[in-house]
Parts: sequence; C-alpha cells; structure tokens
Amino acid sequence: MRYVLAVVAGVIALAGASAQAEIRLGVLYPIAGTGAVYGVPAMFGHDLAVDEINAAGGVNGQPLATFKRDTKLKPAAAAAAAKELITKDGVNVLIGGLSSAVGLAISEVARQEKVVYIATIPKTIQMTTTKLHDHVFRTASHTDFEGDAMARIVAQLGIEKLCDIQLDYAYGHDLGAGIVRGLARHAPDVDLVIELRPKLGATDYNAFISQILGAGCDGITSGLWGSHFVNFAQQAKPFGLFEQAKYISGGEIASHEIAGKMAEDYPDNVWSNTYELWYDHFDPSHVEFQKAVAEKAGTNETAMWPVLAYIGVKFYAAAATKAGSIESDAVAEALKGLSIDTPVGPRTINPEDHQADTGQFWGPMVKKEGVPYRMMDPITYIPAKIAE
Amino acid sequence: MESLVRFAREELGNPGLATLLDQPSFAFIQVLNSVSQGMNLFIIASGLSLIFGVLRVINFAHGAFYMFGAYILYSVAESYELGFWTGVVAAAAGLAAMSIVIERGLFRFIYDKEHLMQLLLTFAVVLILTDLAKMIWGTDQYSVSYPDGFGGAVDLGLTRYPTYRLLLIVVGPVILVGLMLFTARTRWGRLTRAATQDREMLGALGVNVPMIYTGVFILGSALAGIGGALAAPFNSPTPGMDATIIVDCFVIVIVGGLGSIVGSFIGALIYGFVFNFGSVIVPNWQDVFPFLILLVVLLWRPWGLFGRPEGEGA
Repeated sequence: MRYVLAVVAGVIALAGASAQAEIRLGVLYPIAGTGAVYGVPAMFGHDLAVDEINAAGGVNGQPLATFKRDTKLKPAAAAAAAKELITKDGVNVLIGGLSSAVGLAISEVARQEKVVYIATIPKTIQMTTTKLHDHVFRTASHTDFEGDAMARIVAQLGIEKLCDIQLDYAYGHDLGAGIVRGLARHAPDVDLVIELRPKLGATDYNAFISQILGAGCDGITSGLWGSHFVNFAQQAKPFGLFEQAKYISGGEIASHEIAGKMAEDYPDNVWSNTYELWYDHFDPSHVEFQKAVAEKAGTNETAMWPVLAYIGVKFYAAAATKAGSIESDAVAEALKGLSIDTPVGPRTINPEDHQADTGQFWGPMVKKEGVPYRMMDPITYIPAKIAE
Repeated sequence: MESLVRFAREELGNPGLATLLDQPSFAFIQVLNSVSQGMNLFIIASGLSLIFGVLRVINFAHGAFYMFGAYILYSVAESYELGFWTGVVAAAAGLAAMSIVIERGLFRFIYDKEHLMQLLLTFAVVLILTDLAKMIWGTDQYSVSYPDGFGGAVDLGLTRYPTYRLLLIVVGPVILVGLMLFTARTRWGRLTRAATQDREMLGALGVNVPMIYTGVFILGSALAGIGGALAAPFNSPTPGMDATIIVDCFVIVIVGGLGSIVGSFIGALIYGFVFNFGSVIVPNWQDVFPFLILLVVLLWRPWGLFGRPEGEGA
C-alpha cells in the first residue's frame, strides 16, 4: 500500500512539474462517434498548428501540449469533458466545439471556470450576443454573417418565392432568423412562403420535399449540413426539386468532403459556402498549409475542417505571446482586437463581441470536364460584414 | 372546400393543412410518401418481429444489421462497382452469414434466460457491431446512387413520383405475401409456427428445433440487410444510422403485435401515415406522434393490434 502511495505521489509530482513546463490545450471535438467525420479532420489541423508552433520554440519558450476529449456531439458530454479538462488535466484554455449546442455548453463551463474558450466551429449567433461573456471568443463565422450572405445570393439570383428549410435546433433556428434579417436588407420583395424545420438527425425528408414542391418556390434556403444534405438531396432529386428551384445553402456543403463523397450524385443548381477549398489558394500561404494537411490526411483532396481547428490554435498562441502570459484574463484581454494571418487570409477579433471577421467562400457548385466531383466556380469571398 | 382552405390558412395559421386540403396532388404525394416509407420500415421490422415470434428474443442488434446492409451495399455497388442489385443480394447474404455466427455463438445460450439478460447481450452485440462498422468503413458519410432506371420519376396522372419509391411500394407487399406463404404453406413454415407454440413438444417429435431457430434468425437478419440495402440510396450509410431505425422498428412491432408479420405490415403503414401527415399538419410535433400511437396501443391493447395476449399460447 505504501509503495502504491509513493508511486501515486511520484506521478502527481511529475504531472505537477510538467504542468509548469508546458502549455496545456484542452481540445474538444467529436472524435469517435457519429461526428468523427468532422472531428477527425479537425484534429489534423489542430495537430498541424501545434507541431508548427512547437517546432518554432513554443509560446513564450513553453511547448504546447494537447489534451483532447470526445464531445460525442452531445452538449452534456461536452460540458462534462470541458470540466474534466480544467479540473483534472489543468488545461490553460479550451479550444474547439462542433455543433452550436455543444459550443454553448462549453462556453457555459468557460464562463463558470473563468477559462478562455476559443470556439472554432459553432456558429450560433447567441454565443457572441446574448450568451457572450468575458472568456468566450469565436474564430468561426456566425449565423448572421451566413444568413446575410445567403440573402445576398437570393437577391442576386432574382428569386421571387422562397422556401426555407432548417434543422430544428440552435443552428437552424438562428440561421433562419439570420436569413430573414438579411432578406430585409438585400431582397425585401422576396416572398418567404414556408419555413420548414425537420429534426436534427432526420433521415426522411419526403414530407418536406413535397411541401416545397407544393408551395411552388423558385428558391430554397437551407442549412442542412453533412449527411442531412446527402439524404435530402438524394430524396429530392427524383422529384425534380433541383430543376424547379435554386438551392442556396449554408452549412458548408460546398466543402470538398461533401462534394467529393457525393461525386456524380451531387445535385444541380446548388449555391453554397465553405471556409476553405483545397483547390483554391486564396492566400499564398495556403499552398504550404494544404500540402501539410494532405500529408496528414493521406489524400490530396483535403476536407475543410482542418483550417478551422488550425486557426483556433494560432489565435491562442498569438494571444499568449502578446500577453506574455497564459493567465486566462490576460489572454482574454490580448485576444480582443488581435489580428493574425491565416491560410485563408487575415483575421481580426472584434474587441466588442469577441467575434473574428471570418468570411466564407460562396459560389455555385458546377461540373468540370474530366473531374468526377463538383467544384465551386466562380469562387467569391464574402467578407464577414453586414452592410446596413 | 375553399372556405375550409381559408380557415386552415388564416384562422389556424396552418399552411401545411391548407395545402393538403387545397391540392389533391399534394395529398396524393403524401399518401405515397407514407406508404413507401412504411414499406421500407416493414421490411426491416418484419425481420425483428419474425425473430421475436420464434426465438422470443428482442434483438436490439437488428438496427446494426440494417446498418451493415446499407454499408455492404455501398461497398459492393459503389466501391467495387458490381451493380446495385448484386449489392442487395450481397447485403442479404452477408447478413445471413453474420447471423449464423451470432446465433450459434451467442444467442443460442440465452434462450432460456430472462429478458434482461437477453437485452444486455443483444445490446453488447450492438456496441461490437457499430465499432466493427467504424473499423471497416470509417466514419465518413457515403452517398449511394439510385440503380439504373430508378433515378427518375414516373407520371401517375395526378403527379410525378420517384420510381424508386414506387418500387418500395411494390416490394413491401411482395415480402409480406412471401412470408405469409412461407409460414402457411411450406413444411419449414409449419415447423416454424409449431416452434412458436411449443418448442419442447416439437423437439420430442424428433424435429431439430435449434436448426429452426438458426433458420429463422438468418431469415430475419437477412430482411434487415435487404431493408438497409434498399434504403441506402436515400439514407446515406453513416455511423449512428442504426440507432434511429431500431426505435422506429420497435414502435412498429409493438403496435402491430410482437411476432405478427401482418401486424408489422399494418404497424409500418400506420407509422408512415402518422409521420408524413404529422410532419405536414403539426410539424413541431413530428417526433411525438409515433410514440403517441405507441402509448394508445399499449393502453388499449398491450399485446398490439395483431398480437395475442400472453398466456393464450403466443
């Protein structure tokens, strides 16, 4: 018994000692379950950023160490994991989150524990408005930017009758509201005929598809992401929905993981967004970045998620360097108004609402000669600005 | 009628109901949606019900079997490009092979155990199979093309409707009739029915009862595989797809009556209609309705619409 205690004491002492030598990043992505399709590539980007920073000597002379936890795409699991990271692993910062509901849950833990949380993927507007607090910062885009960009495209395409279909949870509701606000600015004459709200995780969309057909819309706005979109599109195509209406979608279904996987099944007349495209070197530094991701992922045609996780880590490192400290309040102060260069262009965090000016690439998904999947062309960068 | 439409739209503020009353083609599409969704669910639920009827085991892993069916179809039809229908056959065969191993290796030992033990074991199988699927197919979402000639729509006069969905509407009743003929007319079917009545007596008469159990389990599991394979073009194979389907199947099987094939058929149709019309008329309650039917049936006829109460020689 005494021997065991001694070993335990030794381990604790060692852990304590190493805690001083390294900066601990608490990372939260869905890495094992259903959400692993996003979480695993996100970790490529995260690890890449950590490797780069450590190779250059760390932050303030201290190396970064990653403590990752699976959020299982569930708010309760994410909150528990975030608490554990802080109390058990003694992390200095929380980074990540996937799904708006998960992001809000992590943010709440960050508020209580007064630890900085950098939200790299969740987009609900609540995070930087009604639920904003001193320690939450967002490097992802948000539902008001996304909704505004979609409304601009609605106006551009001359849509008259619009149907809106969104998933029935924080992200879907907030994006729907963002679109309505955007329409008031950019396309006040558009007739928003119906708003449909299938459940998160829904697999059968036929009842909704026939309602859109019945309403006679010539445009559809949507935020069905991932496999929601794959199922919706596969069910809607035989009805001729994509011939009847132009499909304007948030939720990054223009990203290559969707376009590549759907290949020739990807429907016509889709306008969508993405944070990054492996084939578009918007910023010169993207070439190097994409090559590094491709190496980690084992494929040249890489997914969009790595860049989001990558930017989150880079922002933290820049803030800790600027603050000369990893103390939460100092890092939070340093993040306000902080600018960094990223593989997809420069980013600045607004000191008021803690939101980075993260714009997105938007465009139609078109067929290309000799390419088995759809590509975005032309690619338009819509900056994170809401023109009043 | 017009005043009714206006009433629905303006007084009730219910555009879904208004469109339903206003456009016969829309109502017709909803009927077809209900039936085709019901038929896909029936194929899967009938297997679950069949297995319970004979083996008296509620197989939680049935949803995972369905998922494997979809994944196998993806591999055969998309990765190896051997064609969609080969994929469906491969899914049925693959699940048959898997089910032999699972029945002989695991389920065989729990038939005389209490239900809780059985549930725990089948649940363990769920965890093993979902992890196995992740090891084989990873965590990506896949897209499966419709088979040649079934990607479009057919003009039904009142409206156009996807060919593939119509195919499901045909396949469902074919499977129903097939299963009914099998149990009523064939020697194997008669033995199967006898096994549900009195397995000891059957054994005493010199019939190889364990063999019948294995056979029924294979058939039930193959149905899950076929259901998953046929669903793949409109339900992309992804991890977690087993969890949603097993709940739907339970609702159907319990409403129809555990062990009754006709019950599963009617239960699946009720589910389809309630889900589709519910989604249009009361969209915010779409998830509640299936469980509401379940509640009503459990209170009124706990043994299900076509089941028989315990103790009356189930």
